[in-house]
Amino acid sequence: MKSRRQSPLATFERGFRLIGVSKVHLHLILFMVSLVSLTPYLWALSTSLKLRTDVFTPIPQWIPHTLNTSNYREVFSMAPFGRYLVNTVIVVLGILVIQELVIVLSAYVFARMRFRGSGILFALFLIQMMLPVHAIIVPNYLTMRKLGLLDSRLAMMLPFWASGYGTFLLRQAFRQIPQDFEDAALLDGCSALRFLWQVLVPLAKPTLIAHALISVVTHWNDFYWPLVVTDSPAVRTLTIGLAMFVQQESGADWTLLMAATIFVTAPLMVTFLVFQRKFVESFMSAGIKG
Amino acid sequence: MTGDCEVVSMHSKWGRGPNPYVYLIPSLVLLGMFTYYPMLYSLYISFFSWDIFTPQPVFCGFDNYVAMFGEPVFWLVLKNTLMYTVVTIPITMAISLLLAVLLNENPGWMRNLYRVACFYPTMIPAAAAGMLWVWLFNPGIGLVNYYLKKLGVPTVEWLYDMKWALPAIMIVSIWKNFGYYMLIYLAGLQGISRELYECCDIEGAGFWARLRYITLPLLSSTSLFVVIVSLINSFQVFDLAHVMTQGGPADRTNTLVYYIYQNAFRFWNMGQASALTVVFVLFLLAVIAISMRFMERGVYYEV
Repeated sequence: MKSRRQSPLATFERGFRLIGVSKVHLHLILFMVSLVSLTPYLWALSTSLKLRTDVFTPIPQWIPHTLNTSNYREVFSMAPFGRYLVNTVIVVLGILVIQELVIVLSAYVFARMRFRGSGILFALFLIQMMLPVHAIIVPNYLTMRKLGLLDSRLAMMLPFWASGYGTFLLRQAFRQIPQDFEDAALLDGCSALRFLWQVLVPLAKPTLIAHALISVVTHWNDFYWPLVVTDSPAVRTLTIGLAMFVQQESGADWTLLMAATIFVTAPLMVTFLVFQRKFVESFMSAGIKG
Repeated sequence: MTGDCEVVSMHSKWGRGPNPYVYLIPSLVLLGMFTYYPMLYSLYISFFSWDIFTPQPVFCGFDNYVAMFGEPVFWLVLKNTLMYTVVTIPITMAISLLLAVLLNENPGWMRNLYRVACFYPTMIPAAAAGMLWVWLFNPGIGLVNYYLKKLGVPTVEWLYDMKWALPAIMIVSIWKNFGYYMLIYLAGLQGISRELYECCDIEGAGFWARLRYITLPLLSSTSLFVVIVSLINSFQVFDLAHVMTQGGPADRTNTLVYYIYQNAFRFWNMGQASALTVVFVLFLLAVIAISMRFMERGVYYEV
């Protein structure tokens, strides 16, 4: 029994051995790639904690000999990064909450109802999935100008409240839930809306969470649209704040620039490390960004 | 009771209950305003001359298109975008596929660590990622040139060098995206039945045979998905170009989307920007259609 290989792992180990790749090699490749991948962030973190003069050492110093957090304080005094953070949170959550409400309604329709024009309407939703967001920024900017919404947080949220991709994703999840549930609930006098909120939505929670995480990451990191529609620090988000800070700090003080960069990425990075498994699962199951 | 049942079945099938159109109103209004209307409006305004000198749009026929094709920068921008696409997509796909295959074979405790190390760049805003690399690519005291020198490789000025600025941005984009596509491939790999590999084992097929005859064919629909998503993404490089080079030096890193941005928000030439947008969308659709046709022959669908 022992000699019989059963686990695919063993299978592959033998495969690798046949071509001279052992498990050690496997770890070696993965380890090297991980190291290279981690380098930019670790190096920035290290730089952000250095004294200004320690940046210019001829041999790179990975661990700063004095841990100095004054760069972060200085960044905060130079630009309203606290304000940017608040704005980002407002915009991201504002998009998320309304987006979920809107897609739950439309996904329910496409999952459960047959009606005239449903095919064409659903195709219209799918078009939005394929359309590059960057292609409609100019006309949307003009729309916002007409509506008098330029330089507002609302303008940053509005175009993302409807989501063809979210609708598609959630529709698939709703379809997995047996029709019997609905028949039974309706038989008991439950209204369609109540059924949607109290049965379908809780049952589709994994998909909702997956979509929510992707939405948060996408809009936290968004750049082009907020750049175009905002003008003043009062409404700007973190990514725009960073780009403005870079222009302002053109004297290239790398310790400050890296402190600002690390600060901008830190909230998502910490959340990602804590909920690592959930993030990975979500991105694996719900694929594309949007 | 029977009466109730009839009411219920009517309720769910023929109206009387929720009207589907009512539920769709929020989505349709929003999509209409911010997706469909903009698409048509771009097309419409692309036939108007509308810039600082003509504050009100004036119909000008195909002038914007003629002007665009006559502009050498446009062709350079197109070349840059295509170059970026043609180089980054295959490299990113190869790296992510290789890592996914390796990760899939190695369920040790290090697996999570590797996965996090490869995937975390996805969580970083491209604007911030650009900054991390501007620092690494610094010609004088950057880490990249330091280690290149150590290896005895001639160093370059990277973002300041006409030849190397675009490759530098490509490197950043590969670094930022490979972990994400790796996850997509991992999801695809998990869908492949383990029995197939066990069969291989019995037949005595080696690692490469397995990869060639089982893994790759069964991943072909995942690959098609990855190609399309990365095509859409690679045509939209904006953040990196904006933060790292502002399209320079001498437009060598200027991409289609960045060029549209310049026309619209630097030169305030909305007509020209709209014409560019139309060409951009048509071009992207054409490239997607071609690659789908090209790849579809190779896609194996599991029956």
